[in-house]
Amino acid sequence: MRTLAAASLALVALVALAAPVLAPNDPGETFRAFLYAPPMRPHVVAADGTWHWPFVHPLRLVSRLEQRYDEDPGRSVPLQFFAGGKLARLADDRDGPWLPLGADREGRDLLSRLLFGARTSLGVAVLATLAAILIGATAGGLAGYRGGLVDEAIMRLAEFVLVLPAVYVVLALRAALPLVLPSWAVFSLMAGIFALVGWPWVARAVRAVVATERTKDYAAAAVSLGASRARVLFGHLLPACRGLVGAQAILLLPSFILAEATLSYVGLGFPDTVPSWGSMLHQASDVNVIAEFPWMLAPAAAIFAVTLAANLVIERSSRTV
Amino acid sequence: MASCRAGPVSRDIQCGAARRAARPTWATGQRIGLGGKKLTTSRRERSLRSAVLAVGVCALVAASGACRRDAPRAGAKPAVKALVSSLRAEPRTFNRYVSRDSVAELFAFLTQAKLVRIDRRTQEIEPRLAESWTASADGLAYTLKLRTGVAFSDGAPFTSADVLFAFRAIYDEKTASPLGDSMRVGGQTLAVSAPDASTVVVRFPSPFGPGIRLLDNLPILPRHKLEAALNAGALAKAWDLATPPAEIVGLGPFVLKAYQPGQRLVFERNPRYWRADARGRRLPALDRLTLEIVPDQNAELLALQTGQIDFMQSEVRPEDYAALKRAADEGKVSLLDLGVGLDADSFWLNLRPNRPAALKRPWLLRPELRRAISHAVDRRAFTDTVFLGAAVPVYGPITPGNPRWYSPVLPRFEYDVAAARRLLSGLGLSDRDGDGMLEDRSGAAAGFTIITRAGNTALERGAAFVASELRKVGLAVDVAAIDGGAAVERIERGDYEAVYFRFLTTDVDPALNVDLWVSSGSAHVWNPGQAKPATDWEREIDGLMGRQVAALDQAERKALFDQVQKIVADQLPMIQFAAPRIYLATGARVVNATPALLRPSILWNPDTLDVR
Amino acid sequence: MVRYLGRRVIAAAVLVAVVSSGALLLTRLAPGDFASELFGTGVSAGSMAQERARYGLDRPIASQYLEWLGRAARLDFGVSIVYHRPVVELVRQRAANTAILALAALLLATAMGLPAGIVTGSRRRGALASVIRGLSVVLLSLPSLITSLVLVMVAARTGWLPTGGMQSAGAWDAGTLSGLADLARHLPLPALAIALPLAAMIERVQSQSLGEVMAMPFALSTLARGVPRRRLVWRDALRPSIGPVASTYGFVLGGLLSGSFVVEVVTAWPGLGRLMYDALRARDLYLVAGCAAAGSVFLALGSLLSDLVSAWADPRVRQRQAGGAPGAAE
Repeated sequence: MRTLAAASLALVALVALAAPVLAPNDPGETFRAFLYAPPMRPHVVAADGTWHWPFVHPLRLVSRLEQRYDEDPGRSVPLQFFAGGKLARLADDRDGPWLPLGADREGRDLLSRLLFGARTSLGVAVLATLAAILIGATAGGLAGYRGGLVDEAIMRLAEFVLVLPAVYVVLALRAALPLVLPSWAVFSLMAGIFALVGWPWVARAVRAVVATERTKDYAAAAVSLGASRARVLFGHLLPACRGLVGAQAILLLPSFILAEATLSYVGLGFPDTVPSWGSMLHQASDVNVIAEFPWMLAPAAAIFAVTLAANLVIERSSRTV
Repeated sequence: MASCRAGPVSRDIQCGAARRAARPTWATGQRIGLGGKKLTTSRRERSLRSAVLAVGVCALVAASGACRRDAPRAGAKPAVKALVSSLRAEPRTFNRYVSRDSVAELFAFLTQAKLVRIDRRTQEIEPRLAESWTASADGLAYTLKLRTGVAFSDGAPFTSADVLFAFRAIYDEKTASPLGDSMRVGGQTLAVSAPDASTVVVRFPSPFGPGIRLLDNLPILPRHKLEAALNAGALAKAWDLATPPAEIVGLGPFVLKAYQPGQRLVFERNPRYWRADARGRRLPALDRLTLEIVPDQNAELLALQTGQIDFMQSEVRPEDYAALKRAADEGKVSLLDLGVGLDADSFWLNLRPNRPAALKRPWLLRPELRRAISHAVDRRAFTDTVFLGAAVPVYGPITPGNPRWYSPVLPRFEYDVAAARRLLSGLGLSDRDGDGMLEDRSGAAAGFTIITRAGNTALERGAAFVASELRKVGLAVDVAAIDGGAAVERIERGDYEAVYFRFLTTDVDPALNVDLWVSSGSAHVWNPGQAKPATDWEREIDGLMGRQVAALDQAERKALFDQVQKIVADQLPMIQFAAPRIYLATGARVVNATPALLRPSILWNPDTLDVR
Repeated sequence: MVRYLGRRVIAAAVLVAVVSSGALLLTRLAPGDFASELFGTGVSAGSMAQERARYGLDRPIASQYLEWLGRAARLDFGVSIVYHRPVVELVRQRAANTAILALAALLLATAMGLPAGIVTGSRRRGALASVIRGLSVVLLSLPSLITSLVLVMVAARTGWLPTGGMQSAGAWDAGTLSGLADLARHLPLPALAIALPLAAMIERVQSQSLGEVMAMPFALSTLARGVPRRRLVWRDALRPSIGPVASTYGFVLGGLLSGSFVVEVVTAWPGLGRLMYDALRARDLYLVAGCAAAGSVFLALGSLLSDLVSAWADPRVRQRQAGGAPGAAE
C-alpha cells in the first residue's frame, strides 16, 4: 500500500511535468461555442455494435441559454495517438475540440487546465515546503545545537507562530496585497506566506532530534577532531534528521496544496486566468454550477487523490509501533 | 502524547513518525502509574452503560425532531399573508435623507411615500400624496394640491408642513444630505412654500425639463419625529440602526416591526395607509413582509430554489438560467422575461489628456482607435458568449429597454475587421516586425490593459471577449480583473488605460443623470471634472445638455438628446456592446407582482403584492 | 500553578494584541476602502469624500492605530463600518454561532471517531478494523472544503436538508421548539463537513493510544490470565488511553473556533470566520481587527485548555510546567 501510494505521488509529479504532452488542448484557449460542455468520452464500440479505433462523438448545442449539449451519434471523429507532440488528440477538430473532462465557464478544456494546474498547485506547495524545511531546519538545528538563550528565543518564536490563527493570518496577508500582481509574484508570495506559517513544525521536530543527537558520541568525536560548529551542525547533526524532515515534508505538502486551493477558492489566490486547482475550484463555488455541471469538481478529486496518497505514505510508517 | 496533531494552515492532520519525534523522549510509551487505576465495579460499569444509553436516546429524539419537516407554507389557507424576500446588504441607517445606498432606498419604498411617483412600467408620473398639480405659465412653479385625511402610521396628520420640513431637511448644511444634490437644479435649491395646510408651491430656479418628476426622489419623512433633531443639527444621526421600530413612522404601506441585525428586517402592514385599490379594498394586500439579509447572490438563488424566500431582489444572471428553468418546469418558480434591460456594460479608454502615458502614445486618445475597437468586436458572438444569447447588440449607452429616450438611428461602427485594420494603420499602427501584432511608429507594441471588476461573470467574460477580439486585429490587449475597491480607486485616480465596467441606471431621464454627460461632471468617467471642455464635441454636448435640461417640451428634449446620442455614438468615449435581457424569478406563491427594469424590480410597488 | 497560568494569560494577551494590530494595519494598507463601493451608483465625488470623512478613512494610519489601541485596551473595539454596530456585539454573536457549530461538530466527531478508534485500537486484525482504518485514511484526506461542497450539492439535489444558513425565516417566531428543530435541520450539513475529518483524526489518535496501552505489560498479563479481551478494553485500557485524545480536544476546539471559515463560507453559516472574511473583502477595519482578536483568543484558550488537561492527566507535565523549564513538548 505504501509503495502504491508513493508510486502515485511520483506519477502525479510526472504528469504535472509532462502536461504539455498529455493535455489535448491549450489551457488558456476558450472554445466559445462550448461553455460548460459535458465530458466527451472516447468510445470503442459504435452504435451498431462494431469495434473501432477509439473515437469521439462531437457535441452539438441543444440550448444555449441552458448550456445543454448532447453527443451527435451520427458523426464520429477518431483519436490519434502520439501525433503532433501530444499523447492523444482528435484527427481533425472541425467539429469542435476534444474535451475529455468537459469545459468550464469560459469554455476552456478542464483536463488541460487540470494538468497544467497541477504544475502551479504542486509547484507552490513544493516551493513552500522546501522553503519551510530550509527555514525550519536551520532554526531548529541552531536551537537544538546551541541550547540556552538561542534555543529559548527560537522556540518561543516558533510557538508564537504556531499559536497564530493561521487561516486569518494568511487571509489578511494576502488580502492586504493588490490582486493585480503578475502570476509569478502571486506564486512566490503564496509560497512565502505558507513557508512562514509552516516552518515551526519542522523547526520543533528538528530541534528535538538535534538536541539528543548532539550528546551522542559521533558528534563529540567530530568536535574533538576540530570540526567547526557549523560543520558539525550541517554536516552531521542535520543529516541525522533526514527521515524526520522527509516525513514532515510529505505532511506539509498536502496542507499547502489545500491552502492554495482555499485561498484561490475565496478569490485571494491565483486569478482565474492562471490554471491552478484552487482557481478551478473557485468556479465551482456556486452550488448550482456543481449541481448542473458536476465535472467542475475534478480539481477537488485531484486534491483528494494527492492528499490520500500522502497520508497513505505516512500512515504506513506510523503503524510500525 | 497524541500521535496525531492538527497541521499548519488548514489544521489537518500530521501523524506518526513526525509526531513521535516531536515528543520528548521521556513520554514515549511509558505510562507508569496511569495504567494501574482501580478496577471499576460492575455497578459503575452498569451505570456507565445506562448513561450511554440515555445519551443515545436523547440523540435519537433530537434527530427525530430534526427530521420533522416544517408544516408546508403553501396549500393551507394562510392565516397571515406573508412573503419573504432577500436583501443584498445590511442596512446602514433607516434615515433616507442621510444615506444613498440601495437598502435605504428600498426601506423608503416600503415605509415612506412621496408626493408624486413615476410608474416604472410606463414612465408616467402618478399622483401619490399630491392629488393633482398645475404648472404656472412660465413653467417654473408648480402648485400641488395635497391629499386630505392622510395620517402617518402613528396617527399624526400629514400636512404641507411636513413637505416644507422635508425640503428643509435635505437642503440643511449640517445634515449634508446626498439627496440635496439630486434635488437641485443648476446647483440651486428649489423654493417651496405652503399657502395652506393642503397646498404646496414648488418653484424651480430655472426652467427644468423633467419638472416635478424630480419629486419622485423625495420621500416625506415625519416632521413631528425628526424636526427636533433637525433643529439641533443632529438629523444626520437620527433614525440610526438602534432606533426602536415604533419610532420609525411613515406614510408608506408597511411599518418596520423588527430588525434582527445580520439576519432580517420584518415589516407589517400599516393600518393607516391611505391607499385603497380599485375595488375599495384597503392596501397593502400583504400582512407581513420579511426581508432576509443574504449578501451572496449564489446563496440568494439557492434560497429561492429551496423555497426559503419567495422572490429575489437581484435579476437572474444568464448562468443561473439553466437551474431556474428546471425549477420553473417543475412549477416551483415563475420566470418573468422583462425584455431588454436598461444597462449595457461600458468600455472606455482613459482620455485624460496630460498623463505621461498619453503623451508617449498619443494614438490612445484618438477617436479612430475607439471606432476601430467598435469595428473589431463581433457583437453577435459577444451576446452568445457573454450572455448566452440572452442579449441584444447595442451601439450606445441608451438601450432599446428605454423607449422614451432610445434613438434607433445612430451611427454604428459594425463588425468589420478590415475597416478596423484600416483605421489602425491610419493611426500609424502596423505590423513592423512581422509577428502578427501591431507596433506604433516608435516600434513599441501597440496595446493596453483593461481593468474590470473581479467576481462578476458578465464583466469578466465581456472583458475577456473584447480583449481576444482586439488581439485578433493585432492589438496586444490583456485584462486585469481586480477587486472592486481597488478597481474603483484606480478609476478615481485615473491610473488605468482602459476600463470595462457596469453602471446602474438610477433614472431613465438623462437630465437626472447630468454628471455623466457634461464635461465638468464627476461621473464623466473618461475625463471627469474638466474645468473647461477639452474637446469640441464635449463642448457641443455641454451646450446640448444644458438646453435639454431646461427645455419643457418633451419632443424638443428628445430631439436635443438624440443629437447628444449621435455625437457620443460617433466619438465613442464609451463603447457598449450588448444589453442583456432581464429575467426575474418569483416563487409560486407570489401573485400580482409588478416587475420593472429599475431596481428594486418588484418592491418599488409593494401595495398590491399578494399571496396565493 | 498560579504563576504558570499567569504567564500563559500574559502571553495570550500579547498574542491577541499582535494579531489584531497586524490585521488592522494590513487592512488599512490594502488598496481601496469601504467608500469605493459607492462608485458607479450615481454618487458624486463630493459625497464619497464625505463618506470617507464620516468613517475616518482619510486620517493617517498612525493616529488611527494609536486611537484604536487606546480604546482596545479598554475593550472597546470600535464600531463596524458595514454593520454600524459595535464590533464587540457583532463578534460575540457570531462567535456564539461558531461555537454552536464547533460543539456540534466535536460531538459528532467524538460519537463517530471514539468508538471507531476503540475498535481499531483493540484489535489489529479483523475485517471491521480494516474497513474503519481504510475509511479513516480516506476521510483524513478529504479536506473540509471538498466535503462541504459535496454535501451542499447532495442537499441541493435531494432537498432533505437546507443547503445553507442557520435559520429559516419565521422559525423562532413560531416558538422555541420549532426554532430548535429548525436549528437542528440546519446544523448537520456544516457540522458533518467539519466532523468527518475530525472523526478520522480522533479515531487515529485513540487507536494509537489504545494500541500502546494494550501493549503494556499489565494488559498482556491480564490477557494471559484469561480475562476476555472486551472486558480488558472497556474496563482497564480505556481510561488511560483517553488522555491523549482529551488533551487534543482543547487544541482542536480552539482551532475549530478560529478555523472553520471555509465551511462557513461554503454553507453560509453566520459564524466568526465568515464575518472576518466579509470584513476583509469590505475593508471594514475595526471589524477585521476584532475578529482577528477573537480568533486568537480562542486559539490561545484552546491551547491553554489542552495543556491543562494534559497536566491533569500526567503529573510529570505539571511538575515541569511549575518548574518553568523551556518546553520541548507540545
